[in-house]
Amino acid sequence: MVTAFDQDATYLVLNHFDKPLAGINESLVDNFNHSSFNFDSTIDLMFEDMDEEGNPASKYMDNIKDLGNTHNVNFILLNRIEHEDDRLIMEGMLFNTRSGGLMHRRKINVRNYTNGSINELNLWVGKTMNQIKKEWEKERESILYSDVDDISYEKTPMGAALRSLAIPGWGQAYSGNPLSAGLWAVMELSLGLAFMSSYNSYDSSSKSFLENVKLYDATDDEKEVAAYRASAEKDWNDHVLYSKLAITLAGTTFTGWVSNSIHAWVFGPRPYTNIYQKGTSQATHPEG
Amino acid sequence: MRYSTKQLFIILFFNSICFSQIKLDVNTIPRKVDIHLDGVNIGSSPIRNERITPGVHKFEIKKKGYAPLTYDLLVNPAQAIELDFFLNPIYECKFKTDEKGLVFELNGEHRWDVEMVRLRLEAGDHFLRVFKIGEIIDEQTIRVDQPKKYNYFLKKPLNTSN
Repeated sequence: MVTAFDQDATYLVLNHFDKPLAGINESLVDNFNHSSFNFDSTIDLMFEDMDEEGNPASKYMDNIKDLGNTHNVNFILLNRIEHEDDRLIMEGMLFNTRSGGLMHRRKINVRNYTNGSINELNLWVGKTMNQIKKEWEKERESILYSDVDDISYEKTPMGAALRSLAIPGWGQAYSGNPLSAGLWAVMELSLGLAFMSSYNSYDSSSKSFLENVKLYDATDDEKEVAAYRASAEKDWNDHVLYSKLAITLAGTTFTGWVSNSIHAWVFGPRPYTNIYQKGTSQATHPEG
Repeated sequence: MRYSTKQLFIILFFNSICFSQIKLDVNTIPRKVDIHLDGVNIGSSPIRNERITPGVHKFEIKKKGYAPLTYDLLVNPAQAIELDFFLNPIYECKFKTDEKGLVFELNGEHRWDVEMVRLRLEAGDHFLRVFKIGEIIDEQTIRVDQPKKYNYFLKKPLNTSN
């Protein structure tokens, strides 16, 4: 039994727990330091299942009034905490000792968490005294699973795709696939070099063609005319060939670059868990 | 102003109804969730200073991306009642195995025997059972805490013949 005197109102707090909760009294003293507490553990009258009563709020009216008079308090806080498997079940009731009536009731059924009992009790008592600390609410939220939109990952498929778009193979390396990264990098480098080589050949052929045309126009020598004509025609053919090759290689390089980025996204880092066979046990199976 | 007996009775009757109502506050995580009380939408959470009568009531809470919640509540006479609901998210997951001839069962209700399956799983613990040729070869609880892929592997016997 705990008696708390909160600034204006006085409270008698009755706790009933299914197992000892270390530090619960200290927690109340520390967190509600504007109140003073007395401890007793003799009252268990009102810890029966009140919902079985037709009008549970009225059943203990006289007891509440008597307790109020005996302890000279304005309110009585009744707290019951039970543990079932991994669940924490808490029921809190606030009675007015003047009328004996039930003013406020709270039921909590949550997955248990570290210091869950103490935290939930603090939240409930804090609510009745209007003294809730943000840290208690934060602590409770720790048991909740995250909204999909709130989950952030250190590495993402998009991060891999953007890296590969900047430098082929970077996204694969970022995803932890060095072999794939090397293959993509070598392939793109080879295609890029082949394109540059073709472009250089095309450029040389074009310049050579123009040079030979100029020389062809400038000479009247029959042998030189034939030689320049042959060279110009070869340069023209080479220029057409390397032009087509450069265009094809440029297209292939570009397609490969984009494919490398898409590949990085498809095989990018995604969360996974490996489940290994554990075998069967003789434990009872949950209901399906 | 004078009232007839009938009028007084009606006023008293309505007063008794009004004063027997209980103040209702509803909080949810996440916030801004539509709350249905006995099939009637009473607004978006958090709900403040709503009224509820003593008796049995049904709360229905639905939000896209979260498991729907239905809660039956017996409201006893009191001044106020406050309810906190925590909605559990649903995650898009994949379950994959390269093992052959396995049948998987989740929570005793969903079964599959294909190499990869997409599942919409409520966050939390799920009971996985694995069958091979009609016999249970594995039972374990898997925790779903984010959208992700689960790769299942059989435990291979150690090769000690060397």
